[in-house]
Amino acid sequence: MTEHDAETPVLRVSDVTLDFRVTGRWLRVLHGVHLAIRAGEKVALVGESGSGKSVTARLVLGLLQRQPGARVGGRIDFNGYDITHLSDRAFRRLRGKEISMIFQDPTSALNPVFPISRQFREVLDRRQPGIGAAEAAGRAAAMLEEVLIDQPDRVLASYPFQLSGGMNQRVLIAMALANTPSLLLADEPGTALDVTVQAQTLKLMHDLTERHETAVLFISHNLGVVREFAERAYVIYRGRIVEEGTVDRLFHDPRHPYTQALMSAVPKIDGSGLPALPPDETAFAALPVVHDGDGMTGQVSR
Amino acid sequence: MIGALRESPAVNRFVRNPLSVLGLVLVLTIVILAVGADVLTPYPAHRGPIGDLVQRNSEPALVHLFGTDLMGRDLLTRIVYGYRLSLMLGVVVLAIAVPIGVGLGLCAGYFGGWTETIIMRLTDVFLSVPPLVLAMSIMGFLEPTLTSGMLAVTAMWWPWYARLAYNLARSEAREGYVLAAELIGASPAHIVVREILPNAMPSILTKMTLDMGFVILIASSLSFLGLGVQPPTPDLGSMVAEGARYMPDSWWLALFPAFAIFIAVLGFNLLGDGLRDALDIQA
Repeated sequence: MTEHDAETPVLRVSDVTLDFRVTGRWLRVLHGVHLAIRAGEKVALVGESGSGKSVTARLVLGLLQRQPGARVGGRIDFNGYDITHLSDRAFRRLRGKEISMIFQDPTSALNPVFPISRQFREVLDRRQPGIGAAEAAGRAAAMLEEVLIDQPDRVLASYPFQLSGGMNQRVLIAMALANTPSLLLADEPGTALDVTVQAQTLKLMHDLTERHETAVLFISHNLGVVREFAERAYVIYRGRIVEEGTVDRLFHDPRHPYTQALMSAVPKIDGSGLPALPPDETAFAALPVVHDGDGMTGQVSR
Repeated sequence: MIGALRESPAVNRFVRNPLSVLGLVLVLTIVILAVGADVLTPYPAHRGPIGDLVQRNSEPALVHLFGTDLMGRDLLTRIVYGYRLSLMLGVVVLAIAVPIGVGLGLCAGYFGGWTETIIMRLTDVFLSVPPLVLAMSIMGFLEPTLTSGMLAVTAMWWPWYARLAYNLARSEAREGYVLAAELIGASPAHIVVREILPNAMPSILTKMTLDMGFVILIASSLSFLGLGVQPPTPDLGSMVAEGARYMPDSWWLALFPAFAIFIAVLGFNLLGDGLRDALDIQA
C-alpha cells in the first residue's frame, strides 16, 4: 500500500442521513453514515440487501437528492468539495468524468440499438466534446485492449446482444475508466454473471484501477469477493456503519456482533455455516467498532 | 432501429407470413400508383372538373375499366388520384401528429411529476371525445378545405401517440442503459432523444403503418359527410357519397371507390400487423 496520510480523501461521507417519504411519514434509511476513501484506495461497503449500500452510492452520484420523496442530511465531500446538494447540472459535469459507475447487469447497461463504438464515443465525448469518430475508435480500441479484449475492432462494431455477458462487462469496465475518473463506484459488479466470469472481470477491474490509481468504492454482499478485491472495508447494517477496518483485520478479528454473524454465515464447502443469522438481533445494535491504525480512524465516531 | 430491421430473424418472420407480404404488395402498389398517377392512369386530365360528356355515366367496359361518372370522367383515373390525395393526407397528418405526440409522451414518461400530470391529463381530455365527433366539431368551425381537414385529423390523432410514447418511455426509463447514460452525465434531452427514442422507434413505426389505414378511413369519412375535400378534387370519400345517390343503377360510382378505400385500409393493416409480429412488439 502506498502512503497517503495528509491527503484529502477522494470521497468523504460524513454523518449522512437519508429519509424516504412513505405514505406521508418520513422513514429513515441511512442513520448517519461515515466513510472515507483515499486516492487510489479500494474500499468495500459490505452488507445485506436493504442495508443501505446502494443508496449510499446513489447519493454520491447525486441521483437521490432531487427526488421529491427523499431528504438528505449530512455532508458528502468529493476531492475536498462539498457535493451534497449540487445542482443537477453540476452533478452531470462530475458524472462520467470524475466519478463513474459499474453495475450488476452489464448487458442491460448498454443500449441495445447502438453498436459499442457509438456508445464508447459518447463516453469519450464527455471529457473531450466533439471527439471525431476515428479518434474515438482508436482510443476505445486501446482501452479495450487494456481489458484484454483480443479483437477490439470486432467488439466495437458489435451490438451488445451479440456479445457475451463477460465481454459486455469488460466493455463497461473500459468505458468506466476511459475518462480516468478519480473515483469508481462498483455496485455489485457482475453479480448477474456466472461466478468464474465474475472473478475474471473483477481481477481485470482490480488490475486496471491499480494501474490508473483510481479509487474504488466496491459495494457487495459477497465477503469472498470483498476479501480479494478491497484493502479496507466498511460493514453496514440497517443504515449504520457497524465496523470498519482493513480487510485483514476485519476477517481475522471481527468484533461487532453483526460482522461476526455475517462471517459465520458464509457457506462452507462441507455444507455447514449456512444461516446462523439472525441469532440475536438486539446484539447488532451494539456500538460501532473501529479498528486502530487504519489511518481513517475517527470517521466512525459517534 | 435500422440495425434491428437488418437482423435476419425479423425479416424472416415477416416474409414467412403470407398476409404480411400481401399487405406489403398492396401498399407498394398503391404508393406506386399514387406517385406515378400522371403516367399510369389512362385519362390523367379527368382528375379535374372536366370529363368526356359523351361517355358520361357509362358502365365498366374496356375503354373505362371502372366506368365513368356523371361528368364522363374515368373512374379508375379518379380513384388513383384519390389514392394520391389520401396518402398525402395520411403522410402529412402523421408527420405532424407523430412528432407532437411522441415528443410530449416521451417527456411525460421520462420526467414524470408535474410534466407527466399536465401532458397526460390533456391527452385524456382529447381522448375522451369520440374522434369523429372531435374532427367534425373542428371542421364545423373551419372552412371545409384540405388544410382544415388535415388539421382536424391531426388534432384527434396526436394523443394516441402521446400515450404510446408515454408507456414506452416509462418502461424504457427503468432499463439499465438509461441509468448508465445518466451516470455518464448525459443531459435529459440527450437521454430522451438519443437513448430512449431509438428504442421506441419500432413500436412507433408499426403504429404509424397501422394508422395510415385509419387516417385514410377517417379522412374519407369526413369527406363522405361533406366536411373534407371539396369537388372537383378527386377524393375517395366524396366519390362514395356522390355515387351512393345513384345506387343501385349506377352501382360502379360508389362501389369502386369504396372498394379502393377498403383495399388501402386492408393493405396498411396487414403490413402493420406483419411488422408488429416481425419486430416482436407487444402492442
